[in-house]
Amino acid sequence: MNRRSLETEIGAVTLRNPVLLASGPAGYGLEYEGLVDLERIGGVVTKTISFEPREGNPGIRLHETGGGLLNSIGLENVGAEIFFSEKMPALVDAGIKPVVSLAAEDWEDYRMLIDATAGTDGVDIIELNLSCPNVERGGMAIGTNPELLAKYVRHAKDTLPDMTVLAKLTPNVGDIAVLALAAEEAGADGITAINTVVGMDIDLAAGRPVFKRIRAGLSGPAIMPIALDAVWRISRTVDIPVVGVGGITSVADAMKFFMAGAAAIQIGTAVFYDPALPEKIVEALEETGIPGPLGE
Amino acid sequence: MKGLFTGRIIRTQRLSPSSHLVVFERPRGFPDVAPGQFISLRITSTITPLLRRPFSIMDLTGTELHLLVKVVGKGSDILAHSQCGAEMDIAGPLGDTAFSSPGKKDAVFVAGGTGLAPMIFAARTWKRDGSLGRADLVYGAGCEEELLVSLCKEDFTAVHSATIDGSCGFEGDAVALLEKLVEEGKAGGGILYSCGPAGMVRAMERKAAAGFSRHLTSLEAVMACGVGACRGCTIPVKTDGGTALRTVCSDGTVFDASEIDWERWEE
Repeated sequence: MNRRSLETEIGAVTLRNPVLLASGPAGYGLEYEGLVDLERIGGVVTKTISFEPREGNPGIRLHETGGGLLNSIGLENVGAEIFFSEKMPALVDAGIKPVVSLAAEDWEDYRMLIDATAGTDGVDIIELNLSCPNVERGGMAIGTNPELLAKYVRHAKDTLPDMTVLAKLTPNVGDIAVLALAAEEAGADGITAINTVVGMDIDLAAGRPVFKRIRAGLSGPAIMPIALDAVWRISRTVDIPVVGVGGITSVADAMKFFMAGAAAIQIGTAVFYDPALPEKIVEALEETGIPGPLGE
Repeated sequence: MKGLFTGRIIRTQRLSPSSHLVVFERPRGFPDVAPGQFISLRITSTITPLLRRPFSIMDLTGTELHLLVKVVGKGSDILAHSQCGAEMDIAGPLGDTAFSSPGKKDAVFVAGGTGLAPMIFAARTWKRDGSLGRADLVYGAGCEEELLVSLCKEDFTAVHSATIDGSCGFEGDAVALLEKLVEEGKAGGGILYSCGPAGMVRAMERKAAAGFSRHLTSLEAVMACGVGACRGCTIPVKTDGGTALRTVCSDGTVFDASEIDWERWEE
């Protein structure tokens, strides 16, 4: 049987296929060697880095819910220096395409992070995490405000004019399409939707919230229809490609995201329970081709 | 090297009201493992429960993989009551650190709950390779019918049992019994191995570890990825400059208990 080419263009970058591992669950990529066939996927969106290393949140960080997973990791990461000198080169050496996820924690840290990215060879696509719900400053506070979001995107494009820039958006807003439009007008080359949905849970036995920060980010199959709706809405609002992410649990889910208008997809929480899923999706797409978007 | 395997259940046995032995056929190509390493199981092909469940390996022979399963929730309940012939996806072996052998020195093993599994695997592994000297197991459970002594009495030189309700052996928990054995000069000097809830390991480190040359512990944690990627199971470990977070799943599961920053962990 003829295998279809799955090459996918996002901005100035061509991915070998449109199936990526999502930032966060993917770590720095190589942790999954032996479990995920990393050479078969389109790339790895690496764990979000800040300029300075971050230790993340204290206490419980994971909590399973009905069809979902709440996390309060808090952007623990090794910082720009170690990432660019150790983590990213190891991924590139292994033949895996990195999509570098950058935090927008505060303006100063962000500017230094963009400068550090500018000074690193081998990065041609970044994803701005403008939407993490698990940090005190920045994160979602930026990603819910169209003017601030545009300012961060514009700075990345001004400093890195040849870079393909994805803006990752939060669903915790009135209308995510408004944010997508703001990112597009500020020069983003693509939109990644969605980040986690804010939620909480209570420890009945202890009589207190599960998480120290109380609110956490929900991922997994429970949020898939929310993500699918966001992709549908955004792809009908902007002209730039949309990368769909959120609760994709099966080959069928993946197909739905392409039909809703996604140009590429990311697998996050599902790699925890089915590390073979990204490869299964690639195989299915090779057989059937990438489904086209549905009409209005 | 870790990998994904399909495991087939060939035997299950109820050991106590809450604990079960689940034996998988060793999957073809499944690597040898060291005591303290673990596997993660995808218990169902549905999304309930969602995450894989980590299990210490209780034994691995040429043909069989043994797990000790205590029913604590939906995942362990499904696994414990699975039919023979059921197949599950196994990721492993996981965990980059393992228990180092006592090299014929005296060893005391302390287990709480399913923490018994890696203690049994360690004793069996070192008996097979000739590096096990005197091996005492200090083991606690809630009551007599939850004590799994018959499962492992052949593996240790002596088994010292404790029950919280006093229905069998020492009345109290395993840590209190360990303290008593050290006080009476019946244990100590060699290497202390432990596996159980964090509270148990912390109490051991504070109250009894001074009587031993080293205290190595295999920690339990709620995990998502099992490979160090998601950073969901971190604990504070002392470093030259302060503390650093390490993942139980990949930097462990085995740590030198004196290197864990227990004060910060309690925050």
